[in-house]
Amino acid sequence: MGRYTLRRLLQLMPVLIGTTFLIHFMVWQLPADPFAGRCGERPCSEAFIARMTEQFGLDQPFYIQYLTWLKNAVQGDFGVTFNQVPVITLIENSYPNTLKLALVALAIEGVIGITAGVLTGLKRGGFIDNLVLVSTLFLMGLPIVVVGFAMKWIFWSELGWISPTVSTEVRWSELIVPGFVLATTSMAYIARLMRANIAENSRADYVRTAVAKGLENKRVVGVHLLRNSMIPVVTFLGLDLGNLMAGAIVTEGIFNINGIGLTIFRAIGRHDATIVVPLATLLVVIYIFSNLIVDLFYAVLDPRIRYE
Amino acid sequence: MVYSIGESGSVLEKTFILPDGPLLEVDDLHVEFHTRDGVAHAVNGVTYSVDAGETLAVLGESGSGKSVTAQSIMGILDTPPGFVTGGAIRFRGEDLLKMSKKQRQAIRGESIAMIFQDALSALNPVFSVGWQIGEMFRKHRGASRREAKKKAIELMDRVGIPAARKRLGDYPHQFSGGMRQRIMIAMAIALDPGVLIADEPTTALDVTVQAQIMDLLAELQRESNMGLILITHDLGVVADVADKIAVMYGGRIVEEAEVYEAYSAPAHPYTKGLLESIPRVDLKGHELHVVKGSPPNLLNLPSGCSFHPRCRYRQDRCVTESPPLHQVADDRRSACHYWEEVINDR
Repeated sequence: MGRYTLRRLLQLMPVLIGTTFLIHFMVWQLPADPFAGRCGERPCSEAFIARMTEQFGLDQPFYIQYLTWLKNAVQGDFGVTFNQVPVITLIENSYPNTLKLALVALAIEGVIGITAGVLTGLKRGGFIDNLVLVSTLFLMGLPIVVVGFAMKWIFWSELGWISPTVSTEVRWSELIVPGFVLATTSMAYIARLMRANIAENSRADYVRTAVAKGLENKRVVGVHLLRNSMIPVVTFLGLDLGNLMAGAIVTEGIFNINGIGLTIFRAIGRHDATIVVPLATLLVVIYIFSNLIVDLFYAVLDPRIRYE
Repeated sequence: MVYSIGESGSVLEKTFILPDGPLLEVDDLHVEFHTRDGVAHAVNGVTYSVDAGETLAVLGESGSGKSVTAQSIMGILDTPPGFVTGGAIRFRGEDLLKMSKKQRQAIRGESIAMIFQDALSALNPVFSVGWQIGEMFRKHRGASRREAKKKAIELMDRVGIPAARKRLGDYPHQFSGGMRQRIMIAMAIALDPGVLIADEPTTALDVTVQAQIMDLLAELQRESNMGLILITHDLGVVADVADKIAVMYGGRIVEEAEVYEAYSAPAHPYTKGLLESIPRVDLKGHELHVVKGSPPNLLNLPSGCSFHPRCRYRQDRCVTESPPLHQVADDRRSACHYWEEVINDR
């Protein structure tokens, strides 16, 4: 296990260097004037451009720019934006909100998805089963933008239960509807995955053994059947957490949540490479590490998996 | 026997009332499977019994109903599609089929236990073997984790697993086939059941390991005097350990006999066919006898005696008239119109 972890960490090195280089190269070398529209209505003054070019090393070859940036980033220095705001401040302001939203979404998709999956997997062909099958198909087919605006319309404009935008404090209760929107597709997928696992495993020999041992039905299903059926679902949840933590541009946009997704989206719109590059890198790193953790956790869930 | 059932459904005490009948008795059992293609008659009036300390071997090919009968006894029949449609299963004189779910659950594992063919799939892959054995004590007897662990080690020792203490935390896939079956057996005998049903316990194992497992079962039975129902299609396995055999075909018992009588002079053409199909070294080079034809279609059993399409003693009567179980000798029955001819045909 230790050797495996070490090997996986070493494998991450080329991936990280490759992705950061690509991000850096593509964003900074865009054929656009980095100072266009940065000084209001008027073009920027020569002095300002000269100062900025000097500060960000824009007159140097791109690989030098990249290596300088990489050196700083490794040391934890993400630099400042064109407006002289440290990027780390931007992250500190927005990342907790993304994390909160991700946790709410994960809880919603986990609880509802697994419950629906277990109920339908145990009783296939019934009313609930058909209801879940049809509604999950519907949810999986809808783009998240449609779900987002539909929910906003129902809960704000029609029912008046929520305000149209999430306040700056980003209270947990305000994140329920956005979290649900963000969770829909995964929730539907988890319900179906769980249903299929339960249906398949309920015919497994070890379930029959558990019954033959004289265990109560609750225990047969809740311990013996569920523990096996959860393996792929927990894996999916782990990977999805990586996805969710990488920001939710659409959901954060619809509900105006100051999260990392919206921050990066705005920065892209302003061609602000000083923000886009470090944030995109951060998201890649988070995604890669959450994948690694899921892979390692897999062995805990399923003792048959061995790492060599 | 009277059970006092605790709130958790566990048996608090077993009060024995000496029954007149045998320990476990299957009486005219009928089981049907309702499938898309129609009703499959899997078990059609099976009657057998086993006493404490006795070994009954139930023989038959796939689909003969031997496993379905066992599953009905355990109450682990897949319902639907399977339904017990008639008969009785009496354990210490009480009909299991008339009991509540809770009562049956309390009997499973506690008084009647079962081991399965493929221990790798029958053991839960994600729990350690010690945990799985210990679960019997924790759930039926309310034992603590520590007590359950201790008991599990004792049991693993008893069924001959080397270094039991060290292997307690290992998972099923880390054991060899024979060792896994021993764990299955340890789990089944954990609570000292009155009856142990072994459904093809050695089919998935090497021949040498098969013998060890059979020896182990026989030894455990001697020690605890339990009734053993041994389900198998392998006649070789049966000879040494069984007291009596019941041969099943098409969901019926076609012959019942003491094991040596059945071997020396079978009274049913199917038993005879099975015995002849065992490869013999002294007949090397000769063609192997087989029971020709294929097992009967349970959705549409042949008329009369369901073995008639494959029978070399067949006469016109067999096609129309279903044979009753003829009393051949004291402890011996055969469902063949012409059993006298079969038994004397050497």
